[in-house]
Amino acid sequence: MSRKLRTRMAITAGRMAAATSRIAGRGEGMVVGGRVMLKLAPDAIADLANGRVAALVSATNGKTSTTRLLANAVEQLGPVVTAATGANMTSGVVTTLASGPPDATAVLEVDEAYLPMVTAATKPRVILLGNLSRDQLDRMNEVAMTARKWRKMLAENPDVTVVANADDPVVTFAAEQAPRVIWVGGGQVWTADSSVCPECGTLLTRSDTQWNCTGCGRKRPETSWELRWQDGSGTAVSRLGQEFDLFGLQLPGRFNASNATLALAVAEQLGLGLDESVKRMCQVQAVSGRYAIVNVGAIRIRLLLAKNPAGWTELIDVMPPAPTPVIVSINSNAADGRDPSWLWDVPFEKLRGRTVIATGDRRRDLAVRLLHAEVDHVVIADPYSPAAPLPPEARALDVIDNAATYTAFHELRTRAQREATSE
Amino acid sequence: MSESVIRIASIYPTLLGTYGDGGNVLALKHRAGLHGLVTDVVDVSPGEPLPRDCDLYVLGGGEDTAQVAAADSLRADGGMTQAVDRGAAVLAICAGYQLIGREFPDATGAPSAGVGILDIRTDRLPKRAVGELLTRPDPQAPAGLTDLLTGYENHAGATHLGPDARPLAQVEFGVGNGDVSEGAISGHVMGTYLHGPCLARNPQIADVLLGWVVGEQLPHIAEREVEELRAERLEFVRRSGR
Ligand SMILES: [Zn+2]
Repeated sequence: MSRKLRTRMAITAGRMAAATSRIAGRGEGMVVGGRVMLKLAPDAIADLANGRVAALVSATNGKTSTTRLLANAVEQLGPVVTAATGANMTSGVVTTLASGPPDATAVLEVDEAYLPMVTAATKPRVILLGNLSRDQLDRMNEVAMTARKWRKMLAENPDVTVVANADDPVVTFAAEQAPRVIWVGGGQVWTADSSVCPECGTLLTRSDTQWNCTGCGRKRPETSWELRWQDGSGTAVSRLGQEFDLFGLQLPGRFNASNATLALAVAEQLGLGLDESVKRMCQVQAVSGRYAIVNVGAIRIRLLLAKNPAGWTELIDVMPPAPTPVIVSINSNAADGRDPSWLWDVPFEKLRGRTVIATGDRRRDLAVRLLHAEVDHVVIADPYSPAAPLPPEARALDVIDNAATYTAFHELRTRAQREATSE
Repeated sequence: MSESVIRIASIYPTLLGTYGDGGNVLALKHRAGLHGLVTDVVDVSPGEPLPRDCDLYVLGGGEDTAQVAAADSLRADGGMTQAVDRGAAVLAICAGYQLIGREFPDATGAPSAGVGILDIRTDRLPKRAVGELLTRPDPQAPAGLTDLLTGYENHAGATHLGPDARPLAQVEFGVGNGDVSEGAISGHVMGTYLHGPCLARNPQIADVLLGWVVGEQLPHIAEREVEELRAERLEFVRRSGR
């Protein structure tokens, strides 16, 4: 490794800044440290990447989980660096690359907007493109604009292999002209942001397994991999007919099976043993606190995170069936989206037949939504308090699912960690 | 189908209504149910002819390109104008509000032709309006509209009312039309920048629309969840330093 002196100095300065930030109690310091590094050595990402980036993973939803699944699989080759905390903008990427052994293989999660920049700097072997939908609503993120930027990025980086979800028409539009694309049928539950053709604006025609555009003739590409999902368990099937049972995945739900199938397609491109990859992916239990079971106050919860309507729609299917009660925490801080109107885009009707405990800063918005969805609910400011008026069937559960928006999730995680250490 | 069924057309929900506006249709169904009225909702996709026999037509918000496509399609169809002429009710939110007017700005800011069923023109605000919106029903607003109106706005449009439209409300907090007024009404056509969605947070508006359809003013029925949300939002605006 011949890192430039400038990069080495920047790493030292960045680590000091990160440590200062940690001591001051401002989080993990990755973002601060990364910013300092990039300021001192603007080409640090390229210098640190140095041909060892196996894959970049981007998507609106599931990129942290997919990155973790893939990183676990890649570890069969030796040491891997990957962000443990989902830091996925340039500052997070540079900090991740500066961590661990200098020749370790890198598997990096990258924010959708930063992907072109990080791709140019790191020259990855494979890029995994999962899905594109609206994120925090009041940022007015134009999904189609991101897709056009990805398209341009792939034209400018013809050597990279793309693994892309063929069931997302917007991702397909972004990836279709790349010289080498491995299409994966990963499924798409949320179609509201891809109702019209990203190229010609015609309303797309959909069936259970296909989509096509009558305007310009675009259609779902032929896939090399498919996720087969039956009775709550997935199987990844290759075009050659090889089947990989994903039953052992500890990350729940159809969308994590989809994430694993995409990761497996990347593993194949990297020449990894596929059975071994599945085995290693099945060892992933929780990702940055997602799906972790923790004690908060007087109850034990399974933490579920959803950041946008697409994520919520997927998450509802992960929860146990009615009549099992669940907790739903809704905040509207900047990172959640200030406007919780998206609650009306999520099919909360699916929660009928149980009591939902509504909490978070915007619990009253959720209560009105549940009223209209005809879902029984109680509104409780602090359901974790021993004195909280929880329904008896909720109190009786060993573990209760708690789905939360971004900042509500982090409040719960921090509270659980604080309470665990103070015992 | 019996006469007493209220037919509601949800116009292009795949193009318009991606910001929770589908909730307005849910709220109409819900409020109608409270008043003992039966509803039937028809989703209208772009390219499909607009049903000519609905009592109430609902349009939501959407992105710039979707807005132009929706306006062009509705103008070509012609059904909205006919519906308004025979007295059908219309509720249009945000981008939907702009596009039922005479003209509105496209993605580049150039004027684009609207459906023309509301005497308004929209151009650009100097700065995008994003945040909580609180208004007081206009003195000329329909009977039954007495409570403050609460919602969230997210738009870049400055909307100017012509002589055939009157404001829905006056702004207490937020931007609205950009001249202290908010929304517009003409006959049984109503437009507003209130998201939230509008009818879930302001059931009196839902009752006015349903009242137009059945030809009588509906009594107010309060619901605990809704009143608590309204009280919280009003308190939030108060604390935000108005
Ligand atoms: Zn097309």
